[in-house]
Amino acid sequence: MQPARLTLYVEGTSWLHSRHPFSKLAYILLTGVVVYCAPGGWIPDAAILTLNIILAAHCRVLLPLWKLSWRTLLPLSIFMLPIHGLLFPHNHTPVCTVFTVTLYAEGLHFAATILLQLAAILTASLLFVYTTHPAGYITALTQAGWPPFVSYLLGSPLLMLPAMRARTATIQAAQRARGLDSEAGITSRIRALAPLVTPLVLGAFAEVEQRAIALELRGFSSTTLRTSLREVQDSSQERLARRLMLVTSTGLILYALTKHYLEDFI
Amino acid sequence: MSFFERVKQDFYTFTWVLIAVAIVLNIVVGQLVSLLKLPVFLDSIGTVLVGVLAGPWAGGLAGLLTNLIWGMFTSPVAAAFAPVAMVIGIAAGYTARYNLFRHWWLAIIAGIIITVFNAVVAVPIRLYMFGGITGSGADFVTAYMLALGKDLFGSVVVTVFTSNIVDKVVTAVLVCGIIKALPARLQARFTPCPVAG
Repeated sequence: MQPARLTLYVEGTSWLHSRHPFSKLAYILLTGVVVYCAPGGWIPDAAILTLNIILAAHCRVLLPLWKLSWRTLLPLSIFMLPIHGLLFPHNHTPVCTVFTVTLYAEGLHFAATILLQLAAILTASLLFVYTTHPAGYITALTQAGWPPFVSYLLGSPLLMLPAMRARTATIQAAQRARGLDSEAGITSRIRALAPLVTPLVLGAFAEVEQRAIALELRGFSSTTLRTSLREVQDSSQERLARRLMLVTSTGLILYALTKHYLEDFI
Repeated sequence: MSFFERVKQDFYTFTWVLIAVAIVLNIVVGQLVSLLKLPVFLDSIGTVLVGVLAGPWAGGLAGLLTNLIWGMFTSPVAAAFAPVAMVIGIAAGYTARYNLFRHWWLAIIAGIIITVFNAVVAVPIRLYMFGGITGSGADFVTAYMLALGKDLFGSVVVTVFTSNIVDKVVTAVLVCGIIKALPARLQARFTPCPVAG
């Protein structure tokens, strides 16, 4: 397995790298709740985004975070700003007019808010992904007493992926060699779909039983606690921080719900 | 039988492995069919297969985890749509319980039903989280509907429905064919065998 290529994880020993995976997940939750429920419009979103960028710089993941954020947000902005600027249904304040095309303030404001919210959530989740090795959160889950299948389902696809990618390439090559024409008319291309997909699925399914037996033989469904080679650090302060983040999130959700219903009521 | 007992019945070691394999299938199959340059991604074929073979809850779990894992190593946007993938698996499982994967023409109906459930969950996420735009080719449909004077909700509903219907129907028909091609030994592993004759 080559985790560096399969996941976005960046090797490191920074402050965030050594935080407990659950703390980082709680932070993603808090970010999501703040972005959608906190009062103050765009100000909390911008604050979180700034905090995330500072954290990324501090933990030396700013460059990959910066690149991937742009790769995700740029196509979104290219579509979102003009579409909402021109066509947002509540548009009525023109900003500028070029020939007969008018950009409106409401649409631009709407699009910019959404982009800011997404940027805040995206950077928070990337901080988690960049600083948490898959083995880290899988161990954390097991230590927290989650059943083994949870760890298995999150971990094994990453291990199976390279082999399956290789098989995909083999099937493509084999079907091409047997005369599969990817430039042919649409009906023959639709017909080619089944011979491409079926071998992949049947091949993968043939292994399911062997893998299941192998797991059973190694005591997969046993419920006794097992020792792990990997230890995930946790401290009482961190547990407290996690609890605080959860309480704040719940509070903000309740606040948003009450506000929503009161508005309806009045 | 209580609800939880029924959910629990869907799972045993064989199912866990099936779900793990299906997650990988979802991820690699797009690469395989991109060769044909058709407007289908089939990125929920594994989810639908698990839904049909191992029950709605197993299917839902396969969908949910596919998008979460996807979000972790390539496109973070996929993680936001994890609930959608989950609903696809659940819908596939329930349509299979009503024997809709028995013939290919019934599978077309299953595909349409899956698209409807897909839209019910995808529309709110697309609308409230992304303002209706997700930075893909489907956004042109949204823009066109907005230009025709539809409101944002209506435009997003039309976009989600049109961009998914072909993909989900093709997925359902393919799954129907694959289930028939499964070796009898494997088929027998799944107790409520959805294939008749």
